[in-house]
Amino acid sequence: MDGFPILSVITFVPLAGALAIGVLPARYARPVALGAALLAWIASLLLLIGFSVGRGGLFQFTEEVSWIPTFGIKYKLGVDGLSLLLVVLTTTLSWISILASFKPIQTRIKEYMISFLILEVGMIGVFLALDTFLFYIFWEIVLVPMYLIIGIWGGANRIYATIKFVLYTLVGSLLMLVAILATAFAFQAAHGGNWTGAFDYETLRAYATSGGGFAPSLQLLAFGAFFLAFAIKVPMFPFHTWLPDAHVEAPTAGSVILAGVLLKLGGYGFIRFAISLYPDAAHTYAPAIIVLSLIAIIYGAIVALVQPDLKKLVAYSSVSHMGFVTLGIFIFGQQGMQGAILQMVNHGLITGALFLLVGVIYERTHDRTIAKMGGLAARTPVYIAIFGFFVFASAGLPTLSGFVGEFLTLLGTFAFSPWAAAVATFVMILAAAYMLWMFQRVATGELSDFLRGLGDHLTDISPVEILTLAPLGALVVVFGLFPGILLDIMSGSVMRTLADVGSGTAIAIDPIFVAGALGVLVAVVVIRVATLPAVRQAVASESPA
Amino acid sequence: MNAASLIPLIAALPIAGFLFTAVAGRRLGRRAWVVPVAVVAIAWAMAMVVVATALSGGFGESGAVVKLWEWIPAGAVRVEAAFFVDNLTASLLIVVTTVGLLVHVYSIGYMAHDEAGYWRFFAYLNLFMFSMLLLVLGDSWLTVFAAWELVGLSSYLLIGFWYRKNSAALASKKAFIVNRVGDVGFALGIMAIFVDTGTLNIRDSIGHLASGGVSLAPCAQGVVSCAASMPIPVWVIALLILAGAMGKSAQFPLHVWLPDAMEGPTPVSALIHAATMVNAGVYLVARANPIFASAPGAMVVVAGIGIFTAILAASIAMTQTDIKRVLAYSTLSQLGYMFAALGVGAWTAAIFHLMAQGFTKGLLFLASGSVIHAVHDGQDMRKMGGLAKKLPHTYRTMLIGSIGMAGIPPLAGFFSKDEILGETFKAGFIWVWAIGVLVAVMTAFYMFRLIGLTFWGESRVDEAVAPKVHESPAVMTVPLWLLAIPAMLLGLLLSWPGPPLGPLFGQKGTGLLASWLEPVYKDGLAILGRGEEAFALFGIDGVLILVSVAVAVIGMVAAWRLFGVEIGSLRRRGNHEQVRELTARVPFLYRASLNKWWFDEINHLLFIVIGGRVAAFAWWFDVNVVDGIVNGIGSVTRRSGSGLARVQTGRVQNYALGIAVGLIVMVGSYALLASR
Repeated sequence: MDGFPILSVITFVPLAGALAIGVLPARYARPVALGAALLAWIASLLLLIGFSVGRGGLFQFTEEVSWIPTFGIKYKLGVDGLSLLLVVLTTTLSWISILASFKPIQTRIKEYMISFLILEVGMIGVFLALDTFLFYIFWEIVLVPMYLIIGIWGGANRIYATIKFVLYTLVGSLLMLVAILATAFAFQAAHGGNWTGAFDYETLRAYATSGGGFAPSLQLLAFGAFFLAFAIKVPMFPFHTWLPDAHVEAPTAGSVILAGVLLKLGGYGFIRFAISLYPDAAHTYAPAIIVLSLIAIIYGAIVALVQPDLKKLVAYSSVSHMGFVTLGIFIFGQQGMQGAILQMVNHGLITGALFLLVGVIYERTHDRTIAKMGGLAARTPVYIAIFGFFVFASAGLPTLSGFVGEFLTLLGTFAFSPWAAAVATFVMILAAAYMLWMFQRVATGELSDFLRGLGDHLTDISPVEILTLAPLGALVVVFGLFPGILLDIMSGSVMRTLADVGSGTAIAIDPIFVAGALGVLVAVVVIRVATLPAVRQAVASESPA
Repeated sequence: MNAASLIPLIAALPIAGFLFTAVAGRRLGRRAWVVPVAVVAIAWAMAMVVVATALSGGFGESGAVVKLWEWIPAGAVRVEAAFFVDNLTASLLIVVTTVGLLVHVYSIGYMAHDEAGYWRFFAYLNLFMFSMLLLVLGDSWLTVFAAWELVGLSSYLLIGFWYRKNSAALASKKAFIVNRVGDVGFALGIMAIFVDTGTLNIRDSIGHLASGGVSLAPCAQGVVSCAASMPIPVWVIALLILAGAMGKSAQFPLHVWLPDAMEGPTPVSALIHAATMVNAGVYLVARANPIFASAPGAMVVVAGIGIFTAILAASIAMTQTDIKRVLAYSTLSQLGYMFAALGVGAWTAAIFHLMAQGFTKGLLFLASGSVIHAVHDGQDMRKMGGLAKKLPHTYRTMLIGSIGMAGIPPLAGFFSKDEILGETFKAGFIWVWAIGVLVAVMTAFYMFRLIGLTFWGESRVDEAVAPKVHESPAVMTVPLWLLAIPAMLLGLLLSWPGPPLGPLFGQKGTGLLASWLEPVYKDGLAILGRGEEAFALFGIDGVLILVSVAVAVIGMVAAWRLFGVEIGSLRRRGNHEQVRELTARVPFLYRASLNKWWFDEINHLLFIVIGGRVAAFAWWFDVNVVDGIVNGIGSVTRRSGSGLARVQTGRVQNYALGIAVGLIVMVGSYALLASR
């Protein structure tokens, strides 16, 4: 396939589909969208076949076109093991999501499908871009269609959710843009004002990991900006609160993509950019990120326990599962990072499936309240069997794919710190508790009054719905039994990233600065608690006046 | 074809049966049992070939390894999907496949009334068989861990088989979650083993740990970046593995799931919750014996937890009225014995008891199922009585099982229990022995209380049901008799020609089981410094045997006095007045026993009430504080924004200008800071 721009094809086939939908009558929107997504999927599978594993994490199939020569900005794509896996995950989930939207989405179908395909362009582009500016462009492209998908086809409270999602993400991404520009400035300053390579990922990476790399203060600030952007996307505690809202309001397919791919943008960004470009800062920030990850793992699971809404439960479980990703990345070891990448892929498959399954029941009941469910096992046995399969996959049952990623992450963490591993491993109990408690309330017992009231509307899962879930289920089994398929593909990139990390050392930080930051944090929390209506009332009633 | 090549097939057959039945079972209706029973029968036959080969030394002392594929290849972490058979595995294969096959056959009759769930039941049973076989055959810690969780899954599915019953659904969930508590320990133990030895292979890692220590291979080679706190001490590893074993084998304080697990159909209780899965913890500790031998402190913990569980459960079994619950607590108690044996280094005795109990307890549960079947799904012994004549096969086989459980020679239960008590005493754990003797009295008592209430005396069966009480069909009674044979003879067979009977007939050898397991325990025993012990039939050992028999008789006779007896010419009516009088004399103990020492209440308070509050608080915190700060920043921005509303001209060009200016300011400040 030498010389054939396969990466551009994968990236822009969905765009061509979107354009076609734009000019064709609305009744063609569904088949064209599905066709375009399937075409991108097939192309990505061809890429998978053509990809050579033993190349030590070097980029393959690179394409390069000069774009803004004044600043050395290029249109440059390339793929390594890490991005390959995430691209295939994206193309897979995309056609599944589009197929899953056929029935639920009945209004403005053209616009919906166009949004979805443009979303796919953005996501694939993020994973393939090897120019920091191009990366930023794709990053922001993702935002707009998602904003529309939630804001137009979402639930009752969709405007609040989508504005929150966009503003929150925008705060991070604008800071990231600043960091990208500042890095470019620093690079060109160091090279006597020559802009060549100032936005080129490979050039920057080579510069960052050889010699001294970027200046400590730039590293700390730029990493901080990248961290905020990625931490919000992952989302890491305490930047996660947009996620439950966005999930609850998003249409099913939106949730699938949100959980399946968008959260991975953050994990990908950490590995690709934040660590490799600013290794010293990565070492400096790592302890704090590890602590936040551990908090996210446990906290997400605890909050998931008491969620009354199916989607919110899965959303908080995502916070917990994605904690493993950031934990695995920032312990800077092979097992941890491989585990983290496995976890990204597997979380995409499993949580994507869980959202599809919630969508199935929502289609029939227009409700997601766990308390109203009950007894579905007797009424919709096939649905419950599939649901149960993914419930256990999510709870980390070995031989299904979720287990291997978590175990490798934990193993890496254990060598790093047994106590941290003990804290993270504890989530095995909580994960079983929140998933099985939810499953029991939905599946077992006698059919609830609410569900009985639905009468014949409450049908078992349909063949099309099974078709959307079957590939995910198959992959969950295959990757559970043969995780080597994924591990081999990614190992080159992981080793290369770890070599980058190895070139860095932690930057000494003034303890006063840390204390000041913590002080501000505490102050903000105190102010917030003090201004809670309940607290204010309590204070008011205490005072003699 | 050599026997080793059969090993993967033993595990593959049941999973194939599961997949087939899961896909096609619904359409097969009443014939759904054919494939699942057939695959287990074939697997049984193959297992017997493998067992015979292994025990006759066909695989050599180190056993047979069959590698399938590399499951997890992640740098220094290499986990193979591989099977391993040595004599310990073979001993367990005998129990697992034999009881498994008989339970499958029995279920053909027992589940016949459940038309809709018939195929599902057999599918789950096959899944369980696969998982259990994987557990004993696994060559890597992680394979065993995977099987560990898979038996948990099959157990979950089978306990909750009647999912319309809320109690069943709750019990299945409880079983899985409580098991997960132990699994956390087990998982951490596996990680510690890897960090200390650089391998997840069971034999290799134990070899490293037993040969004086810890190589710290992965840290030293730099393939894993290790913390300063390495290596993990062996006693920590031992305790972490123990945690896993305690979950699966339902040892205090993780015992609470097993009694509730009786919500599952009775064949499940027999197979999973008496004969096989609950023994997995015993297997695990026995397998890891050199690790425990290197950690004397951990051994004491094992013994202490074991014997405490034994007496705690026995005390509860004495007053329960649900026939299956009595058996469930008795299972707990006997598992406690096994752990006590493991803790004092009597590993052979533990496996001996495991095998004897596997058959005896399997028999008792299946027989109780036959009783439950006969009285139309009643489990309350207060509504039974006088069933001996109506259920002759069930009665006789259950009586055999109970005599064995009580520890009357020459039944299997006697030999194994006697060996545990004797070894405990001789190892110097007098306190364990003393409690063990007390438990033996209680065991004999509650078993004959059960027999007395169920089979003897007058019938208290509901009048509507009484005329319809009938013996179960042959498909159910034949497995009972087939289990009764090992329950009677296994003890003689496995202890011959060693003590206690060998010396009596002038034999000087070790028992059959002991010689089988000798290679497995060699390293552990060497660390403990135990050699061959002289057996003094007309000395201490003889006295210990007499004590064992005597206490069994005491317990049995006590039960006869209170609840009656009808064996041959031994006839006596139960004395319910005396029972009431006795319980009134120790009101606290009686209530404690009846209420299972309030463990469910304590756990409810700790985990549901308090845990629920914590979780609710966390959510409140998330909504009000974490998200509150986010929204607070938003509203502050909006309010200051309305002050700046005049800037909002609605012209895109103005906004673009603003963004550009902002960017330049930010980039400029960055560049200034960065260039410093």
